[in-house]
Amino acid sequence: MPALLIVATVFDAGLARSSLELVGAARPIAAGLRLDLTAVVLGPGPGLAEAAEVLHRHGVGKIWRAAHSLLTSGQTDALLPVVEQAARTAAPQVVMVSADTVGRELAPRLAYRLGASLISEAVEVGTDGHAVVAKRQVYGGRAVAEEAAASWPVVVSVKPRTTDVPEPWPVAGSVEDLVVSLDEASLATRVREVRREQADVGLEDAQVVVGGGRGLGGADGFKTIGELAAALGGAVGASRPPADSGWVPINWQIGQTGKTIRPALYIAVGISGATQHVAGVTGSRTIVAINRDPEAPIFSLAHFGLVGDYREIVPLLTAKVRELKGA
Amino acid sequence: MDVVVCIKQVVDPELPVRDFAIDPSTRRQVREGRPLVISTYDEHALEVGLQLKDRHGGTVKALTIGPRAAVGDAVRLALAMGADEAVVVDDPRGPDLPGVEKAAVLAAAVRKLGRADLVLTGCESADWVERVVPPLVAEALGASCVTFVSTAEFSGNGLVVRRLADDGFHVVDVRLPAVLSIASDDANRPRLPKVKDIVAAKRKPVHVWAMADVPVTSGDRRVRAPEVQGVTIPERTAKCELLSGDPAEQVATLVQRLRALKLL
Amino acid sequence: MAVELSDEHRMIQATVREFAARELLPIAADLDQRPRYPADVVAKAADLGLMGMMVPEEYGGQGLDPLAYVIAQEELARVSAGFQTIVTVNNSLVCDPILQFGTEEQRRRYLPGLASGRTLGCYCLTEPTAGSDAMSLRASAVLRDGEWVLSGTKVFVTNGVEADLCVVYARTEDTKGARGISAFLVEKSFPGVTVGKVEHKLGIRCSSTAEVVFDECRVPADNLLGQRGDGGKIALATLDGGRIGIAAQALGIARASLEDATAYVRQRHQFGAPVATFQAVRWALADMATRLEAARLLTYRAAALRAAGQPHAREAAMAKLAASETAMFAAHKAVQLFGGYGYIQEYAVERYFRDAKITEIYEGTSEIQRMVISRSLLSRR
Repeated sequence: MPALLIVATVFDAGLARSSLELVGAARPIAAGLRLDLTAVVLGPGPGLAEAAEVLHRHGVGKIWRAAHSLLTSGQTDALLPVVEQAARTAAPQVVMVSADTVGRELAPRLAYRLGASLISEAVEVGTDGHAVVAKRQVYGGRAVAEEAAASWPVVVSVKPRTTDVPEPWPVAGSVEDLVVSLDEASLATRVREVRREQADVGLEDAQVVVGGGRGLGGADGFKTIGELAAALGGAVGASRPPADSGWVPINWQIGQTGKTIRPALYIAVGISGATQHVAGVTGSRTIVAINRDPEAPIFSLAHFGLVGDYREIVPLLTAKVRELKGA
Repeated sequence: MDVVVCIKQVVDPELPVRDFAIDPSTRRQVREGRPLVISTYDEHALEVGLQLKDRHGGTVKALTIGPRAAVGDAVRLALAMGADEAVVVDDPRGPDLPGVEKAAVLAAAVRKLGRADLVLTGCESADWVERVVPPLVAEALGASCVTFVSTAEFSGNGLVVRRLADDGFHVVDVRLPAVLSIASDDANRPRLPKVKDIVAAKRKPVHVWAMADVPVTSGDRRVRAPEVQGVTIPERTAKCELLSGDPAEQVATLVQRLRALKLL
Repeated sequence: MAVELSDEHRMIQATVREFAARELLPIAADLDQRPRYPADVVAKAADLGLMGMMVPEEYGGQGLDPLAYVIAQEELARVSAGFQTIVTVNNSLVCDPILQFGTEEQRRRYLPGLASGRTLGCYCLTEPTAGSDAMSLRASAVLRDGEWVLSGTKVFVTNGVEADLCVVYARTEDTKGARGISAFLVEKSFPGVTVGKVEHKLGIRCSSTAEVVFDECRVPADNLLGQRGDGGKIALATLDGGRIGIAAQALGIARASLEDATAYVRQRHQFGAPVATFQAVRWALADMATRLEAARLLTYRAAALRAAGQPHAREAAMAKLAASETAMFAAHKAVQLFGGYGYIQEYAVERYFRDAKITEIYEGTSEIQRMVISRSLLSRR
């Protein structure tokens, strides 16, 4: 039976969550198109065996395993030829890649090398029984495009955190090691250094998120909204301008080029509501906007709007929340 | 160092919602009568190219695909900001070409331009957001590729760039020639053109190439674009309730509402 | 005549609007509340090319037409009228007369510095006893050993504190009135020039307004601007251009008032509805918008006439009269629409209100504009 190949990575803390999300997205496609669910799992070495077992437990049969010291986070030019090697071996009809730092470089380049169809940045992916179909956010989240792959094979990149981690579904499987030959001197790009920003703030999993924008006026404003977030037991995020200006770490950024959040409650403070930001928050169940400008587009997205100075409103709200939680 | 910056003219992404519409026949945004701007990140890419030129000399060329009559402002702004010349590949469908096809044309156009050490693009277009053009152009040109780059500087025979990553920043050594997609950063905030340069832009060369004169090869066209089956505007059911009163009253009402929704 | 903005004009407008949003908007209120000369932003404006907009490129300027200048001035004044005052004086009252009446040598010596922001200019006409009746000025200049010796006190000199170069009007002949006046280019560093009292003002507070005192100040003969006795003519010709700049300032203030008021009345609820639903409020907005548009057309037209080298003294006076009274009208309405909030510094409209008033006063009061206009009507045959 032809295959669906998932690209999975194990860079540090075990199998990447996004790899497991791919499995969840892939299972119905494999079933609908009658494809074998297979994976290539790559990394420097540690944890690969365990990762293969996790993949088996979630429905992946055949696994190609590739271990090499150059197969590390961000090292696209090492990962790409190995994934290509796996794809040539597995001859899949469908390749699924997470649209993360590496995946957004890797997926188009792999499609090029395979002469494949390409669907990128899918937020929903499935099949109509004949082809791979996907939905993507376009126009800054103002519209959704539905696309269908026009030929085989097809490479699909899936935006992280748009599908849930799937329930286990154990299958019997096998693991085959790929013979990897990589020469560091031949790499066109080489990651010299990884500078981690402040440990993950848990934005993507938070049930409550308080986001700050240009309207906060500076890094100090984030202290004010940080207190509100703390009182609510939530996380703090930001729109693009504060991240660009260095008021907050870049990994606090929510939006098209940042994180996608889906909390129960999102409170946007001093955020105008540029489409760039909106694209990352539309999955929030309830949105509250606090802004001085009653014309700010954020109010057309929000469920509740408070027009005024956040320096007055937010401390009042924080105090109220503390009072309730204390009681 | 010769830099080519690919720019795209798009409908202003901050257009009021009421003016946003999808044309069912093209399955793309209605452009008529809407203000057109250079796609957000493309301006940052231009800024990165111009900064490299300011520091190390060389040339910056702006390259765009679009209907020649309509791209004037985008090209003019690029030239006013400091690009030396511009190339317009004249195609009425330009802005709405899928990324895969656009990448093939851009790669062929860069080849036709002759020497280019570096090709820069925005990290995504403000409208179609596929993020596929830079890696595909890199493959077609046999160039290195890094996406979501915030800063780039020469180092030895190549570049050292900072890439935005899920886990922070990557500092990456890059061989030339290279294709970089540029993300916004305080260091690459687009400059304002000097008023003199706005006037002078009129005198800079703008080359208009017919699509037929851009030699796209089968190697450039290895990837198939997906078929767009529909573009829909999700219905918004929520209507914003603007809470009235002074800050304390607004906060009190909000707390009441959030409690009713069991969010507090 | 039809006045149309070219692609260039629109790009200049967009650029200056963005400049004002980036550089002025964050500090505009503070510049008013804690008045100071924003040297860093003036330098950035100069770098953008805003300090010598109509000076030809060969003298270090931008070589733009008066319409481009007007458009840029409105954008600056929309955000900070005080800042725009600094800019418009340098352009209209200093660069312009040097360009129009200066010798080639004077142009080469002074214009590149003024247009690039390395130096700043001021205009010294008004005296304690010679305001609207400017031609009664008493400052004097006498030739002694091939140099002019200049004495007198000038007041209400915009940029007086920071300026490096003063265009000074002084009496060189015994005759009364305009004919006895000559104009001089006086460097602030010449011995005998001092800055006197610095004024505290109602509005446009970040631009300095000072007394400049000339005490036996020796000015080289080469620094006579135009011919001896031409001072009155130069002063009036300069003001024709200056008034267009002030009209543009008034447009900026009026637009700020209209835009802020429009945004406010849409969100302000009283009696259970946005106040924008009340007819009295809507009529106020309509009147503000209509008068603004009319004043803008007059201003554009005066600029277009000046660009075409046609007489425009009357049109410049009409533009300034209409625009300044519109600014005052619009700011007054805006404060009223904001109610109590319009009276406090939390919102910008009280600043617009204070800034607006000066446009009816300087570079010829509204009464002087009416004199200019009516004189041109009555002299027609």
